[in-house]
Amino acid sequence: MNTKPNLEIKISWFLRIGVIVAGFLLLAGVISTFKFNGNPFFVFQVYDKIPLQIGLLHHLKHQQWGMLLSYTGLIVLITLPIIRVILTAILFIRQKEYHLACIAIVVLLGLMMSFSLGFEI
Amino acid sequence: MYSLLLIGISIFAGLLGSILGLGGGIIIVPALTIFFGVDIRYAIAASLISIIATSSGAAAGFLRDRLTNLRLAVLLEVGTVLGAMFGFIISSKIESSVLFLLFGGFLLFSSIMMLRKKSDSHSNVDHPWSQKLKLASSYTDENEKLIFYKVANVPFGVAAMTIAGMLSALLGIGSGIFKVMAMDNAMKIPMKVSSATSNFMIGVTASASAGAFLLRGDIRPEIACPVSVGIIAGSWLGARLMPKMPAILIRRIFIVVLAIVSIQMILRGLKT
Repeated sequence: MNTKPNLEIKISWFLRIGVIVAGFLLLAGVISTFKFNGNPFFVFQVYDKIPLQIGLLHHLKHQQWGMLLSYTGLIVLITLPIIRVILTAILFIRQKEYHLACIAIVVLLGLMMSFSLGFEI
Repeated sequence: MYSLLLIGISIFAGLLGSILGLGGGIIIVPALTIFFGVDIRYAIAASLISIIATSSGAAAGFLRDRLTNLRLAVLLEVGTVLGAMFGFIISSKIESSVLFLLFGGFLLFSSIMMLRKKSDSHSNVDHPWSQKLKLASSYTDENEKLIFYKVANVPFGVAAMTIAGMLSALLGIGSGIFKVMAMDNAMKIPMKVSSATSNFMIGVTASASAGAFLLRGDIRPEIACPVSVGIIAGSWLGARLMPKMPAILIRRIFIVVLAIVSIQMILRGLKT
């Protein structure tokens, strides 16, 4: 009976800590790539598709740690809701609510499928 | 300097968003496109990231306060994630001008919806799906009174969430106004529960398309990071300042600003 409140509180704490960790990573990324002069957004006036793997390889090759830190923060942030769905599925399994656990797994699969759409084949 | 200006605008968006109960998306996308001249696709992708941050932070509080209907959220997320997938696919097929028109239209709709008087809905019947999944629940109101509620029109709710998910991926917004409207009007869920459950779902909805946008390369850290940092700081500040702010006055001013920005976005869409 007590698993519901406990795990709900744990999910709540997980989300809170996750946002703080991601926030610090993003802040570190902003500080390390900060430019006082010029307009850093000028290059984004025209849409130019550069897939993530190519961008990451470029930053790794040129040892641009600030950019890599920024990407890490972004990935942590995007991962938070996914882990939240997994934790919710666990909560329902513990409560023996198998219909809802299955629905949570469907949501998780949907998220995976959606992500896969981002890969350019 | 431009980065500092963007952080400043994002703090303001986060602050205003948390005072008015909106995500920062409807402020950030017009700011990035109109003030900074950023392509709307980058603006939408950056906005989605900031939405995940604010939604996850707020969801933590709502979960603790037991306002979120976790069971209902999981069911409706099937619709929002499906919608987000459709939205992502459509977003790569349509022109920027169409996105401007859609965004302008959505802002206009949002400003009209904000004029609406909020009143709590109530249903005497529990939909069979709700009975099966035990979606009916309760919450404690401001007078410490336990309020029980039932859930109506569940299939309609899932369908409405699919549209909400699609709008979220297409426009980089949480589409909270749309979600709350569907839960309140059609599913007859009390406003407080609707708002908390909608906020809880926004993170998953935004993440579904944000992951795909990140892999495709639309989320650029140079834009998304200052926006997210600003919005996280702004909404943190907003939550603390909220009791001291004249929320009704701010809401009225914001409705006017929203209407003006919506017209600007529509005009931009017609020009390009």
